[in-house]
Amino acid sequence: MSQWVRIGIKTRIKTTHYPAQAETAPGVSPGLPQGGAYAAADVSSLVNLCPTKAISPGLVKDSLIVDYRRCIHCFRCVHGATTPLRWEKGWQWAAGGQKCDGVASGPEGNRLGRVFARSVHIIVVDAGDCGACLNEVKQLNNPYYNMHRLGFFLTPTPRHADILLVVGPLTEHMRLPLLKTYEAMPTPKRVIAVGACALSGGVFGPSFISGAGVGQALPVDVQVPGHPPPPLAILHGLLVAVGRQTPATITSGAPVSLEATTR
Amino acid sequence: MNSSDLSQQMAQRWHDQVRMHTEPQRSCCEMECPAGLLPEIARWLFAELDYSFAGLIVEEDPAQWALRYEFHRAREDAPVQVLVRRALDEKTFPSISDCVHAADWHEREAEDMFGLLFEGHPRLGDFILHDDVWPEGVEPMRHQFNAQRSVPERRPNPHWRLRRIVQAPGAFAMPIGPVFSGLAESVHFQLETVGEDVIRCVPRLFYKYRGIEKIAEGRSPEDVLLLAERFCATSAFAHALSFSQAMETIGGVAPPPRARRLRVFLAELERLRHHVAALEGICESTALTVAASQMALLQEELLRLGGALTGHRYLFGLLTPGGLRCDLEDGACRRAIAATRDILRRLRQLEKMLQFSSSFLDRLEEVGVVGTKDARTHGLVGPVARASGVVRDLRKVLPYCDYEAFTFETPMESEGDGYARLRILFAEAAQSASIMQQAGAALCAGPVHTPCPSRPGAALGWVEAPRGAAFCWLRISEDGQVARYRLMPPSFANWHGLHLATENFAFQDFPIILATFDLSVAENDR
Amino acid sequence: MIHTGAWLSVFFLMCGAGIVLAPLIPQSAHPRWLAGIGSLASLVLLGASGKVLLGGGAWSMPLWTVPGLTTLSLNMDRLSALFIFVAGLVFLPVSIHASTSLESYLKRYSLRAFSVLYLALLAAIVLVLIAADVFSFMLAWEAMSILCYLLVNYEHERSEHTRSGYLMLAISEAGALAAAMGFLILAVAAGSLEFPALRSAAAGLGTGARWAVFLLTFFGFGVKAGLVPVNFWLPRAYSVSPSVFVPLLAGVTLNLGFYGIIRVNVDLLPMTLVAPGLVALVIGTISALVGILYATTNNDLKTMLAHSSIENAGIITAGLGAGFVFTACRQPVLAGIAFIAALYHIINHSVYKALLFLGAGTVDERTGTRDLDKLGGLIRLMPWTAAAFLVGALAICALPPFNGFVSEWLTLQALLRSAELSSLAVRMVFALCGAGLALTAALAVTCFVKAFAMGFLGMPRSAPAGKAVETRRGTLVSMGFLAMLCLALGVLPTYVIPVLSRTLAPGTGVGAANALVPPFFAGSPGHQQLPRALVTGFHKIGAQVGENILPGRGLVVLHRGGTANPVVFAMSTFYMAAVLAGIVLMTWLIVRRLTCRRTVRVGAPWDGGVHRLRPDMTYTATGFSNPVRVIFDAIFRPTTVEDTRQTVAQHFRTAIRREKEHVHLVDRLVLQPVKSAALRLARGLAALHHGRINMYIAYGLLSLLLVLALGWLL
Repeated sequence: MSQWVRIGIKTRIKTTHYPAQAETAPGVSPGLPQGGAYAAADVSSLVNLCPTKAISPGLVKDSLIVDYRRCIHCFRCVHGATTPLRWEKGWQWAAGGQKCDGVASGPEGNRLGRVFARSVHIIVVDAGDCGACLNEVKQLNNPYYNMHRLGFFLTPTPRHADILLVVGPLTEHMRLPLLKTYEAMPTPKRVIAVGACALSGGVFGPSFISGAGVGQALPVDVQVPGHPPPPLAILHGLLVAVGRQTPATITSGAPVSLEATTR
Repeated sequence: MNSSDLSQQMAQRWHDQVRMHTEPQRSCCEMECPAGLLPEIARWLFAELDYSFAGLIVEEDPAQWALRYEFHRAREDAPVQVLVRRALDEKTFPSISDCVHAADWHEREAEDMFGLLFEGHPRLGDFILHDDVWPEGVEPMRHQFNAQRSVPERRPNPHWRLRRIVQAPGAFAMPIGPVFSGLAESVHFQLETVGEDVIRCVPRLFYKYRGIEKIAEGRSPEDVLLLAERFCATSAFAHALSFSQAMETIGGVAPPPRARRLRVFLAELERLRHHVAALEGICESTALTVAASQMALLQEELLRLGGALTGHRYLFGLLTPGGLRCDLEDGACRRAIAATRDILRRLRQLEKMLQFSSSFLDRLEEVGVVGTKDARTHGLVGPVARASGVVRDLRKVLPYCDYEAFTFETPMESEGDGYARLRILFAEAAQSASIMQQAGAALCAGPVHTPCPSRPGAALGWVEAPRGAAFCWLRISEDGQVARYRLMPPSFANWHGLHLATENFAFQDFPIILATFDLSVAENDR
Repeated sequence: MIHTGAWLSVFFLMCGAGIVLAPLIPQSAHPRWLAGIGSLASLVLLGASGKVLLGGGAWSMPLWTVPGLTTLSLNMDRLSALFIFVAGLVFLPVSIHASTSLESYLKRYSLRAFSVLYLALLAAIVLVLIAADVFSFMLAWEAMSILCYLLVNYEHERSEHTRSGYLMLAISEAGALAAAMGFLILAVAAGSLEFPALRSAAAGLGTGARWAVFLLTFFGFGVKAGLVPVNFWLPRAYSVSPSVFVPLLAGVTLNLGFYGIIRVNVDLLPMTLVAPGLVALVIGTISALVGILYATTNNDLKTMLAHSSIENAGIITAGLGAGFVFTACRQPVLAGIAFIAALYHIINHSVYKALLFLGAGTVDERTGTRDLDKLGGLIRLMPWTAAAFLVGALAICALPPFNGFVSEWLTLQALLRSAELSSLAVRMVFALCGAGLALTAALAVTCFVKAFAMGFLGMPRSAPAGKAVETRRGTLVSMGFLAMLCLALGVLPTYVIPVLSRTLAPGTGVGAANALVPPFFAGSPGHQQLPRALVTGFHKIGAQVGENILPGRGLVVLHRGGTANPVVFAMSTFYMAAVLAGIVLMTWLIVRRLTCRRTVRVGAPWDGGVHRLRPDMTYTATGFSNPVRVIFDAIFRPTTVEDTRQTVAQHFRTAIRREKEHVHLVDRLVLQPVKSAALRLARGLAALHHGRINMYIAYGLLSLLLVLALGWLL
């Protein structure tokens, strides 16, 4: 058994320094397309290229708005376009959520954040996920990301959970288990929707068997876009949920006045 | 034996009742027979000629049912498709699952989704559409069913319950899931037990059913490619490849050589990553934390490798019918190969250390044993089947891309226990790394994409996905849209065989059996 | 102050009048009538025995001198009084319970017969306990045995009941015969049948005779006490008896066995040999282990409690055995501790087992089943019964502040003090038995967690269990009374222990109660190891250690001998209870304070998200106890009755059937070999009668010759 100890020590610390420092390793994030000003000729072609209608013409002439809730990382606006969309390799994507009735809810007045910000238990519910988001959440447990150092812990029972992390578009069959899980959690509780599927249904919903995201059934507090969001983005989402990081906006290229409220 | 031999034998046995035609374009041999003969032919193919069953494809033509039973065997033989047609109002077909037990779940699925009946199948009912959510009589795969609209009025049977078969004093059913343990996918298990030892375990799947096959209908191939890529991310490249190959068969084009090599390169990268993840799962299930962490490091490094190489950690958005969307730099590939070599070295070191960790081996050896005979009748595929002595690697049996150009071996073990499955995973990971190096070395300059027209037609696509043989059936209608997209993923076959490994086991071995069986719910619940 | 004799006369008059009047009372009035007369008689008994027990002054009365044989006489000393008092404590609530529970027998069985048998049994039991000579003792014993059989077989329509009754009667008779033989050996030596004469003749008895008396009385009376290997009748009889009668079987007649053992081996013939004590200790430990193993794995509530009685009998016997060894080793103080532990456990077992049997009977009556696999969720439907059963379960698990804790703790302490003995072999036996008893205690917790959890918690696993209603007041009152007794005996042991030590004083050879009691509370003249300073130290911290018992004190102190290290084990169940109550109260207050401004949400149990949690998804009693079955497989030796798989179309499994059969260890190792040997013998004898007249004449001739030869030889 001593050899395991040896190899463990020999490996040394691999953990990222995020959020204290930025992570610079290649391949940690696929990035997200950027909205904003584009040539008039490209606007319509780019809008048409997007299979999930994540790209829409902006209110300002010759600009594009990218709705991250719908972006599924198909890269068609990059590989297929004559003028590719600008991409930015970041990961601080998590944004405040939208309650069921459309009223935005942010982490303001977040009791969860104040009292137990460094001991937060998370239950993950797979509501029809393809395996990617779940695998990226799993990476948070591995030595590279190690979310325990930030006070986040996974729990198998909703009774101990403060945060409900949902992945997947919410299939019909998972609707009841998801609601039961939410009901079984003690208050105060937060819901984080992770991935484009959980935010908009992705390529799957809405249909007879799949919903158009978790927001239809539960009040979502934090939205983490991406398909799948890389582990660092999910970590950012967790930190946003407890008020330790500032949220980003869920759209890119929207007018500044709207953006200013959150940034 | 080639297809002409096969047709001769058929003619001898059944005279003119079976019509046979080979379609070189579709690269499979179709034999149409009356429904009554189906069990006999299936038995003949499966039991006597040693064909493997790949899946059942149900199509609803405007006037009739067409049921295609896919069989495949060796490299020289084309896949065989047994076709049975019947008028739409005749919904009863004979069941072949008493002989070809691998067809069991395919028949249940057809019953659930199309409302067909299979005579002789004892266990139809609650399967994909859960009977505690849906009423009887909903047949979502029929043409008249609107995939976009939800079914508002649902009155399921409130007294429905999962069947129990263990009759012992004090026996009870321990429910697990669908929401359980930290990061498990949603699936429900019913463990029938009298305490301590579990007598039998039945999984209840399809909590994550997203109706890919239904929502694909009427969409453009470009959009369906997105579905193929995204229904199971851990083998996304494999399923997208299978779809692309079906499209290319219909379109009658072949991707350029560079694209083919790059496809092999990326497919093996995905396999390597998947196997490392599966090994991590096994180490985690035995609570060997250091080993699990080491495997997790390797997995994350492979994910980053994919991200740096293709822009996406799960290799999304790269494949397209006719080739690849964008070219990869040779330098990046070389760096990736160097990184893989390092990863393989560390993997070998971990393998050696695991082989000397007796506490680890004790928990794997003789756990979840699946015998060779069972593995064959249940149609197990992939590493699980190979650990039980059933080798049928599509890369060798039905080569695609340029696999025949590379030298590699398909490992095999015969014990069929958890340790055999572990050894297979290690051996296959090493083979994958070797293929990656060969493919990287064989990269030639040239384009990576040939335009692939969307012609009407139908074709079978296949690929050896990380979890085993994956087939898909694609039909393009006259207007160039997808008319039928049938998925036969490896997890569907292996989940069906899970109960073989989960009879009479100690409860604490359950996570280990599951981990060594390496199952994906997303792939199964497509 | 009324004289003890007068109390007893009133008691016997009441019983007699009851028996005579019973046929005149209408059937429907019997339950209440029996309850009235039974509880009054019990109260009288409590008065009579309490007076002797507390006030001292044995009561005795010569009854009738049979010419040429003996004088029949009655005598109530402290030992008799103690057992009579316990009998009264059990008879009182059981009689009250009879008022409600007997009604279910109306129109099915004769309640008149029941009243007659019940009162006659009460009188017979008291007679056994106050008999002062062998003749009247055996007479009363026989009456008691036969009445017990009749009551076990009360629901005589079912052959199973009759069979169990016969088995019990047969084994009891064999036991009584053995005990009588033991008495006769003593009587021959004494030349008299009266107990005082026996006592005085005991000193001159040889080793062989002592062994014989011990073995005959130990196993003879052990039949009633339920000791391995003569207890196979016990679970069978307990499980078929009427629910009014089982508490008496467990709480009273079981004690009579111990009364016999103690009367002979402590009072009449104090132990001078070490080995018989070790035999008792080992038999006791084995009984305890076997009893609790079968209790844990049994799912019939009544049978389970019956096996648990065997376990408790084992613990008592182990305490007695330790006492015998200490007596033989001339350690009267240690012997006193061990005997006190045994006596205390006798009292405790009577109280909580009666309570548990009442609870089990109530559950049976209200749900129609005793199978724990079919019960569940009763706490919501029968909250008071559940609370009473919980008290009984906690007490029998030996958890403070209830009574089982005190006596089991004392027993284990007594065993630990074998360190003061000189022989290594004896010390090792003690250590092993101590370990065995500790295992027993742990298994008892498993057993009663199962009993309570599977019976009262969770979801009802059958339709009748889901429709049960709370029982009526009579039963609740009697269960409440017994539950309060469990608490009182657990919290205030310092009031009980001096009484017990006075009871034992004549038997252990320690002259006065003072000689035995002080080691618990203060340094005695004979035991100066406990330093005065320490005693005064205890005084200072408020736990006044000493004879003058004040209310609010409940300290049990044991000290380990040896001048070098007077280590003191101190434990106060009273303070423990006070602290427990304080913690519970504080918690309640804090939780209330914290939650007073919040709305408390009561949700369904977390079920993993399944559509509906069904009762068959919850643990069954079999499942809960299966680990024990697996671990102790070598003892249970299950035989597979059925292990089949049913398959259609080759691969579809439609049924897996499994059944295992457990034959009880004692049945397997004792009853069945004896039975088969007897059958073999009978077959051999049957060969003798093959019907030729010449042979029969030859047999006659042979036996005649044999007799003649014997006569000539002698």
